[in-house]
Amino acid sequence: MSTFWSWWVMSLIVLNLGITLFLFLWGPRVKIPTLPDGTTGHVWAHGTLREGVRRLPRWWLLLSASMFIVGFLYLALYPGFGNSKGVLGWTSHAQLAQAVAANEAKLDPLMQRFARDPVEHLADDPAAQQMGRTLFDDNCAACHGRHGKGNPLLGAPNLTDNDWLYGGDGKAITRSIHDGRRGVMPPWASLGENNVKNLAQYVLRISASPHDASRAAAGKPLFATCAACHGANGKGNQALGAPNLTDQVWLYGGTAADIEASIGNGRRGQMPAWSPRLSDGQIHVLAAYVYHLSHENDAHGQ
Amino acid sequence: MAYKHFEAIEKHVGLLGILIAIFVSIGGLAEITPLFMEAHAVKAPPGVKPYDPLRLIGRDVYVREGCYLCHSQMIRALRFETQRYGHFSTAEESVYDRPFQWGSKRTGPDLARVGGKYSDQWQRLHLMNPRQLVPQSNMPGYPWLATKKLDAADIEARMRTLRRLGDPYSDADIASVPAAVAGKTEMDALIAYLQGLGIRNEPTPATLPTATVGNGGAP
Repeated sequence: MSTFWSWWVMSLIVLNLGITLFLFLWGPRVKIPTLPDGTTGHVWAHGTLREGVRRLPRWWLLLSASMFIVGFLYLALYPGFGNSKGVLGWTSHAQLAQAVAANEAKLDPLMQRFARDPVEHLADDPAAQQMGRTLFDDNCAACHGRHGKGNPLLGAPNLTDNDWLYGGDGKAITRSIHDGRRGVMPPWASLGENNVKNLAQYVLRISASPHDASRAAAGKPLFATCAACHGANGKGNQALGAPNLTDQVWLYGGTAADIEASIGNGRRGQMPAWSPRLSDGQIHVLAAYVYHLSHENDAHGQ
Repeated sequence: MAYKHFEAIEKHVGLLGILIAIFVSIGGLAEITPLFMEAHAVKAPPGVKPYDPLRLIGRDVYVREGCYLCHSQMIRALRFETQRYGHFSTAEESVYDRPFQWGSKRTGPDLARVGGKYSDQWQRLHLMNPRQLVPQSNMPGYPWLATKKLDAADIEARMRTLRRLGDPYSDADIASVPAAVAGKTEMDALIAYLQGLGIRNEPTPATLPTATVGNGGAP
């Protein structure tokens, strides 16, 4: 605030508090002319009601006086009187920094313990699961769902099935969260509609799903193109994030129409990088939580 | 002052009204006027640029559809806010927002730094029908945005108006509009706007005005 506006604010405060304080101190002492019967002469209802003159109650005076004291103290301690910083030097940003520091100090022993534990081991830690759950709900659930079941509309993978696009060990999960992932399935509509249909039937065949045998046979030679990423047997390639096509786990749905759309239009699923938003410690805990999600499911044999 | 002065005020309602109005306005004069006058002195920090054509019209779609009625763009300097949404918002970040979208109503989450949190495809599906991604969501869908094409001449006019208000748009910026919005829909524009929110202008201690940087109690 410039000096001018600082003085502007200060003079208005002085004016305001000055007038109210004057009224407060002077008002009770003012001499009010009264009639011989002790009233002011103001009457209502033909004289049935008359206005008397009484001293202000003590509780009211004390309450008002304390309001003035609180006001003056506040202006002295906190910013408000023009450019004055107040005796306490309080700022909301410093208060935030203190709150953050206090919180970090509280969590520090926990985070240090978490950092020492590899993801696979940390996954069994209830405290890490609890923190991971909160982080997951806040950041991951929008795509992967609150229960981590994924969403075929987005190609957001199911995180509970222990089937992994980019690898399911702690390192791979951590990297997926930290750097994000970008699907790179190109569109193959240029092969022609018929060929796309044949290929889709072949993909259904290698995943042991119901399919049209003649179309699948016609699609088989075309799969050489796909093999570059998905492998000759269609088992996928975790280095590229190319899904395994033989396991009946479908990222974008497993109907013939879904698969034709995947082949014809390509798929460019995108997992955002979380390193700009989450600390390495938080990503570590999240990776453990995701690991826990997939392995908890194993244990229950779902 | 004596009793007769008070009597004069009490018995003349017009005078009483005028004096009350003057006294009540002192608070506003002290609290609002300085901020109002000094708002013009707020300068864009490095990294905060005027909206490109697509994001500009996206911002106007955001305002038109009333997104601000449920979403704030104001991360307060409170731990539970900065922990969830990122660095607190600063006035400098909003210099090119007319009107600013700070808001005070949060039916949905704060969007001040939502840019990049989700993929473009997520935003598209979510705006078409939020419940196909978030089953519990009570946000309405905005499917008509996907069918409404953008009008380059309209956006150019908006940019020229903003230039008159002081936004540093060059002739080249305005000439680039048709190419920037060709074939794009209001949906694309809104997504571009959302994906740009807060990600290029997160303040660092170096860019924060000194008055707002706290260091352990002392300003």
